Amino acid sequence: MDFSIIKTGNDSKKKHYSAAIIGSGPAGLAAAIYLGRSKVETAVFEKVVPGGYVVNVEKIENYPGFAEGIAGEKLGSLYAKHAEKFGAKILTEEVIGLKLNDKPFLIETSSGAYSSDSIILATGTSTKKLGVPGEEEFTHKGISFCATCDAPFFEGENITVIGAGNSGVQESLYLSRFAKHITIVELLDHSTAEPILVDRLKEADKIDLLVSHCVVGFSGEKMLNSVEIKNITNGEIKKLEVKGAFIYAGEVPNNELIKDSLELDDRGFIVTDERLRTSVNGVFAAGDVRNTPLRQIATSVGDGAIAGHEAYKFLEGIK
Amino acid sequence: MSLISEEDRKYLKEEFGKNLKREVNLLYLKREKNESEYSKQTIKLLEELASLNDNLSLTVENCGDSDRMRIEGLTLCPSIKVKSERNGFINFYGVPAGHEFVSLIEGIKDMGSDNLSLPEDVVKGSQEIKEPVDIKVFITLSCPYCPGAVRTAHQLSLANKNVKASMVDANYFQELSIKYEVSSVPHIIVNDKKSFVGNMPPKMFLDKIKEALE
Repeated sequence: MDFSIIKTGNDSKKKHYSAAIIGSGPAGLAAAIYLGRSKVETAVFEKVVPGGYVVNVEKIENYPGFAEGIAGEKLGSLYAKHAEKFGAKILTEEVIGLKLNDKPFLIETSSGAYSSDSIILATGTSTKKLGVPGEEEFTHKGISFCATCDAPFFEGENITVIGAGNSGVQESLYLSRFAKHITIVELLDHSTAEPILVDRLKEADKIDLLVSHCVVGFSGEKMLNSVEIKNITNGEIKKLEVKGAFIYAGEVPNNELIKDSLELDDRGFIVTDERLRTSVNGVFAAGDVRNTPLRQIATSVGDGAIAGHEAYKFLEGIK
Repeated sequence: MSLISEEDRKYLKEEFGKNLKREVNLLYLKREKNESEYSKQTIKLLEELASLNDNLSLTVENCGDSDRMRIEGLTLCPSIKVKSERNGFINFYGVPAGHEFVSLIEGIKDMGSDNLSLPEDVVKGSQEIKEPVDIKVFITLSCPYCPGAVRTAHQLSLANKNVKASMVDANYFQELSIKYEVSSVPHIIVNDKKSFVGNMPPKMFLDKIKEALE
């Protein structure tokens, strides 16, 4: 059993910060490190746990410096400690409203209200829903979006994973320690995961990859017991008898807070320039939530560094 | 070897020093005869915690001891109940390790102080609940979303003495997880009847509790 602490605060009496970062994933915490070292009073708002989505990843193998891999939870904790060392305040409060039309910017959270002179949005993405019959009904009744959270409930069961990208394949390998058998359903005619992951998938005897298929429905009684899939080549429909379905079929930006106040691209990602400035002066975006060609921890950290530096320059300019 | 690292011990000493203004007792009710590794590790953890502040103490008893569970308002064994003179039912069925360790620490700090981090409208809204409410938050120790739900439930208990709130380790209490059809966590059961899933802001959490009571 592990007993270690990730330090967070929610008892802050301070209500105004020079910089507010929304989201404490790799982008948010990298920005916090750069701002902290520039002596900028910085708050990082996090609704779950420092590290963001990274903490859900069992092992990260493509982040430079960790050739043997590092647990996502550990990496998230290291980022948080690093940011705190340079003075950033991590607040475990969910941001539920942002007002960007006047300065200072106003931040409404689940516990109170704050203001800031600059904002960095690092809210990341969420798993895209499939939009097929039965999905809403059986969400949390067999359909899950978090393998590390829910894998034990499917010990010895047949399950399916939707999507054979990096996340789908990596999570399938993790889930195979619990499940009896896994069928990965992929719309394309191949997996888009890194070749090294595809090799591991081929070696895994409990996992089958079914390409050129899409999910057309989920069914069951009180709990999920089958998934209907369609062969997109010949239109044939068949049923997979499964107790669990984990969905990793793409991502949507977490843009609810700013969708009416910032310029977005046609998929809803925040549009930035190369200095990660958004359409509102003093507001920056970093990591997966912006229109970036690659969504990885390494690219998010790079984004965080640029956004932190640019926010510092912006704040210096207005002083 | 200590279960809590030297760095964390130092941090916890500071935190308890700042927050424990009154005595807090950790009551561990364990299964009789069961000196499993699970039970031994739990006792060791709680002993380590209790050694960090003079206002923090540990009591270990058996669940079957003289009607102890009924008196404490508990229904599952083993449990760790965090007690003080402050009103509130902060309880853990199973061991709050992994992501849940922070829930135990925050619960200790809350019971030793007058901390209440809920927004005012949620405190007021929670006080409208006049009937007894039992909230069980089913979690897994690897779930990063779960401590938020556990903490909100415990905070509601501090805001209204009609509310009892417990964390339940879904893996340890497997039969109960099956009974309540838990397949995603955090899974919140209200009065053993209604349920909802997910971590959410306190206001929404309270609304879900109230909906479940209708």
